[in-house]
Amino acid sequence: MGLVEFAAAKTLASSAVFLFITVLLMAAAKRTSTCIMLFGVQCAVITAQILAAAFVYHSREAYVVAAMVFVVKVLAIPYALLGIRKRLNVPGGVSASTTPAQSVYIAAGLILLAFLVVQPYVRALALDGEMLAAATAVLLTGAFLMVSRKKALMQVIGLLVLENGIFLAALTTTFGMPLVIEMGIFFDLLICVLLLGVFVFRIRDTFEHVDVSKLRRLRG
Amino acid sequence: MTFAIDFLQVLILVGTAPLLRGLVGRIKARIQNRRGASVWRPYADLRKLFSKEDLISATASPLFRLSPMILFAATVAAAAFVPTLHGFALLGTAGDFIVLVYLLALARFFLILGAMDGGSSFGGMGASREALVSTLAEAPLLLALVAVSIVAHSTSVAGIVRWSSGQPFFHLSPVHALAFVAFTLVAIAETGRVPIDNPITHLELTMIHEAMVLEYSGPSLALIEWANAIKLNLMLSLLVAVFMPWGIAPATSLHGLAIALAAYALKMVLLAVLLAVLESSVAKLRMYLVPDFLGVACALSILAVVFTALKR
Repeated sequence: MGLVEFAAAKTLASSAVFLFITVLLMAAAKRTSTCIMLFGVQCAVITAQILAAAFVYHSREAYVVAAMVFVVKVLAIPYALLGIRKRLNVPGGVSASTTPAQSVYIAAGLILLAFLVVQPYVRALALDGEMLAAATAVLLTGAFLMVSRKKALMQVIGLLVLENGIFLAALTTTFGMPLVIEMGIFFDLLICVLLLGVFVFRIRDTFEHVDVSKLRRLRG
Repeated sequence: MTFAIDFLQVLILVGTAPLLRGLVGRIKARIQNRRGASVWRPYADLRKLFSKEDLISATASPLFRLSPMILFAATVAAAAFVPTLHGFALLGTAGDFIVLVYLLALARFFLILGAMDGGSSFGGMGASREALVSTLAEAPLLLALVAVSIVAHSTSVAGIVRWSSGQPFFHLSPVHALAFVAFTLVAIAETGRVPIDNPITHLELTMIHEAMVLEYSGPSLALIEWANAIKLNLMLSLLVAVFMPWGIAPATSLHGLAIALAAYALKMVLLAVLLAVLESSVAKLRMYLVPDFLGVACALSILAVVFTALKR
């Protein structure tokens, strides 16, 4: 039993580091498939963190949330996104407007910014500063991925990463939302991915590419 | 006793270097569904090369003969800074990690000089590429080690290793995680492994290291190949020593030493397997993308240094 407690404590202490690394690697990734995998890894880290929190704080609801995160975000969404990517049949690059190195510098800057902006809240609410900073950094990087990547599929991934950040922030500040709302959010997310997938297909069928920077004219 | 172990560490680093190379080659062959050469093959290669005649091009100066020796000597000297079995190294007190990094740079400098001295156009091409890669790799390598040394409050490699072996298992700080990723990327670039340079290629357009040693033969080539193998062994051992030194002998007892040796061998084999899998699954980068690859490493290592100020 001691080993499980030890593992839980270590997971809680080090998950922020893994989140930082996934965020930086996502900024460096050059292919949409790598980004989707990294999203899955990021969600796996979050799952581990929720499991550890559930164990430490003896919360039965958190186990259910962890199971849902695992099924929806680690398995279903990456699987669906990979399927969409395969059927879209467009080149696999993310067509970023910054080079990978620049993106990593920007993501690193966003992490530092996250550390700076959460300081007042950490002091006022006595929270885990690193975790809240990680949540904010994930949120900011998701937004950055959305604005700097031209592939329509990357906008979806950026939105999902952004949602991960909000979810983590909620988790660190309030121990998560009530279970019913949590379930609603997961359902929303799944529908959102399906709808956005359909939308990406429509973009491709109408314009014969998925580059959002070229969507300037209306077409019937 | 301590001195003997220090000496043994250098012998292991220098002596097992060809074995590591053979091991990586063997695992790669297995992944590609070939049987592959024996893991002892690099030793046979070295013996063959040492017994051959040294052919020198008519345009070459004495520098051409001298460079492989300086390369080998500098690499072995750098190997004497890396602790593998216990928290001390043969030259542990003689210099810090900056000396280690610049001994490797010295070795590389003479390799580049020798390549250009050979008079073939390939040598010059490989030399200029090597110079580009090493210029870009130097900053992230130094910064990653600086970040770790700030946390460990010691600039000597042995001191860093003693500090991190005293830390509890899996005690991850953002600094170490970031420096680890940056160091791994740099180690791949420094040792000329796949995304940057393909060690088995002989295609003119892509080769870096192979282009530089094209003019060398006999004992000179043997020294260069051996030094290159030592460098791979050294970088991986440094990775093990700085970021995962657990199992290293705390005191000089025969029992602890045996455990340390077993742990070290296990970690190196694990890294060899990882390296082989990585090399079989990743395509070589275009030369123009190498700055991006190392730019990522640089960003990570700068972030690691910045994090040392944020934490503690």
